[in-house]
Amino acid sequence: MAEPRLVAVLARCSDLRVEVDALTGAVSRDARTVAFSSSDAAAIEHGLQLASAWGARTLVLTAGGPECDGPLRDVAALGAEVRRVATHGSYVEELAADERALARAMVSAMGERPDLVLCADRSADRGTGALPAFVAHELGVVQAPGLVSLERDGNELIAERRLDFGRRERMRVPLPAVCSVEAAGTRLRRASLPASLAAARFEVPVAEVAVPGPAVRVLGSRAARPRPRHLPAPTGSSRERLLALTGALLSHEPPTVIGPVDASGAADALLEFLARNGYLSEARTGYAAS
Amino acid sequence: MTDVIVVGAGPAGSAAALLAARDGLDVVLLERGPFPGSKNAYGGVVYGRVLDEVLPNWWDEVPVQRWVTRRSTMVLTEGRALTVDFRSTDWGKAPYNGCTTFRADFDSWLAGKAVEAGAQLVTSTVATGLVVEGDRVVGVRTDRSDGDLRAPLVIAADGVKSFLAKEAVLLPRTQAKHLTLGVKEVLSLPREVIDERFGVRGNEGVDVEILGCTRGIPGGGFVYTNRDSISVGVVVSVEHLAAAKVRAEDLVADLKAHPAVAPWVEGADLKEYTAHLIPEGGYDHLPPLSTPGMLVTGDAAGLCLAAGIWLEGVNFAIGSGLEAGRHARRIIETRDEKPYRAALEETFVLQDHKRLRGAPGVVLSERVQQQYPGLIADLVQGLFTVTNPTAKPGVVKLLRAAAKNNGVKLRHLMTDGLRGGKVFR
Repeated sequence: MAEPRLVAVLARCSDLRVEVDALTGAVSRDARTVAFSSSDAAAIEHGLQLASAWGARTLVLTAGGPECDGPLRDVAALGAEVRRVATHGSYVEELAADERALARAMVSAMGERPDLVLCADRSADRGTGALPAFVAHELGVVQAPGLVSLERDGNELIAERRLDFGRRERMRVPLPAVCSVEAAGTRLRRASLPASLAAARFEVPVAEVAVPGPAVRVLGSRAARPRPRHLPAPTGSSRERLLALTGALLSHEPPTVIGPVDASGAADALLEFLARNGYLSEARTGYAAS
Repeated sequence: MTDVIVVGAGPAGSAAALLAARDGLDVVLLERGPFPGSKNAYGGVVYGRVLDEVLPNWWDEVPVQRWVTRRSTMVLTEGRALTVDFRSTDWGKAPYNGCTTFRADFDSWLAGKAVEAGAQLVTSTVATGLVVEGDRVVGVRTDRSDGDLRAPLVIAADGVKSFLAKEAVLLPRTQAKHLTLGVKEVLSLPREVIDERFGVRGNEGVDVEILGCTRGIPGGGFVYTNRDSISVGVVVSVEHLAAAKVRAEDLVADLKAHPAVAPWVEGADLKEYTAHLIPEGGYDHLPPLSTPGMLVTGDAAGLCLAAGIWLEGVNFAIGSGLEAGRHARRIIETRDEKPYRAALEETFVLQDHKRLRGAPGVVLSERVQQQYPGLIADLVQGLFTVTNPTAKPGVVKLLRAAAKNNGVKLRHLMTDGLRGGKVFR
């Protein structure tokens, strides 16, 4: 395979400090706290390292509104190309979005076929982890999910994946591929001050790719509250209801008064009571129900 | 080419950046947090009239929690409280007086105005030191790679512990004597519950300043209302707090448990706990406000007015920042920083500090803090306790008894009265 030329990173930009009102279920988001999650930041860092090693370009794409421009500028200051796929839906609509359609839109926004696509293993707010698979399907390339390390080996990758019981799986990943990574201690580098200053007024390119609306339409969202059960109003006076509840004046079997008797007499009386109420058979006890 | 580096996007820094940028200067505004106000613990009453001149109708867009229409001063002793309560509907309409706000919102808003004016905001960047040539500050070092930034003027607005002012030897390394510690709890309550408990409606809010709630440690307490939370806390002398070996959060717990305050906070959920140092040295302990190539503003310059009934910081920070920004061009051109101090002397910033220079000494004195709350409570309790069939005692007799009971001599009362009158005249 020829030397890779383009490493694309699909990074999800989201509000990492969303607050949800426990009473109303209202979600409040704050554009000031919109950022890349640690996994997304790790994907970008891997992208920068690998692209640098191959002499390739790094393209970081995110789908979202203008609130994503700040984090994208920070990435631009690191030397990556950035692009934002404009979405126009509400947050709730975004949550229900068709991820296959989104994957198609992101691939379309790349403009050219990438040699490697990196994603976070799951986004901070959605968490389905389905996007990388859809992207791999769109590109018709292999997918390696859940990676904790990525190393260049010529024009291929050596990747490591976490397994149960503390074991690791080491894999050789041929390119082109879609790899999704965990943060796993990889932190995004900081830009130099001159680069940050230069990027501060950078106009983030926006790709107006038609992202189809969600296949599943959200009709409304609210806090889960079970419907109240309809119970008939009680009848009768409070005294009557109290009597009905306690059975105070109803006829009932009077208490059995035994004794004073001796021990054998008490045992006989007990056995007779059990036999009378069907707990003992007459044959076994020799007592007949009276 | 950068003309002005402003360090710190708090009220002072953003105000300075706003006017300097409006003056056509190339301004870089450095902020250590991910956004302006993100690291700030303060949240209190902001008196915004200082913005009238530079941001007309600021009240239409400032991120307000509530407009303070009710102002109370409370004196507490164990189990007793005396409150002087004032409310005005004038404060609930433009141009307003003060508002409660969260500084994360307020600072972001004011920094946004500076950016609109052309300042370049760089976040998540810490100014770690000064770049000095000869005796002149010519820039700052930051914690980013290749992080030296040079400019003919640096405006230090990096807060009470200003590393830059300390490096320039404008501030001492430690200054606990002139610092107080503010600790605050934000307690969540439904809006309608706050309205009911504090007797307010709509956007109206309450600010209560409290004396006598700090176990005799010089300082005071406060309660104020936000939209759907209330802030409760104390501000105490760092030096005396350490000497008393008391934890500040215990003082807040005491305050919340006081019978006069407990009904306000009942059933509230703790949302946030913060602590913050406040410079309260007053005019006599202000540091030099400039050094060649650098101006110092806001808390970094100790410009916080703590004068008993007046506890104001943000307006003084904005006021000093505005003067720094306003004179930036002239200072760059003449390489003479004196106009900054001279301008501050002409405005409320130093005039109020100068006039009330004796206030910290009076307000934080031992008698005011430890003896007068009890004296006042004894006197008022005596006045309003009906002792029939015994006839009502005279006020002078009650005052004598209260003074004796609290170890205050009448000559002390007269001395302090004269001293207070002189300070607050």
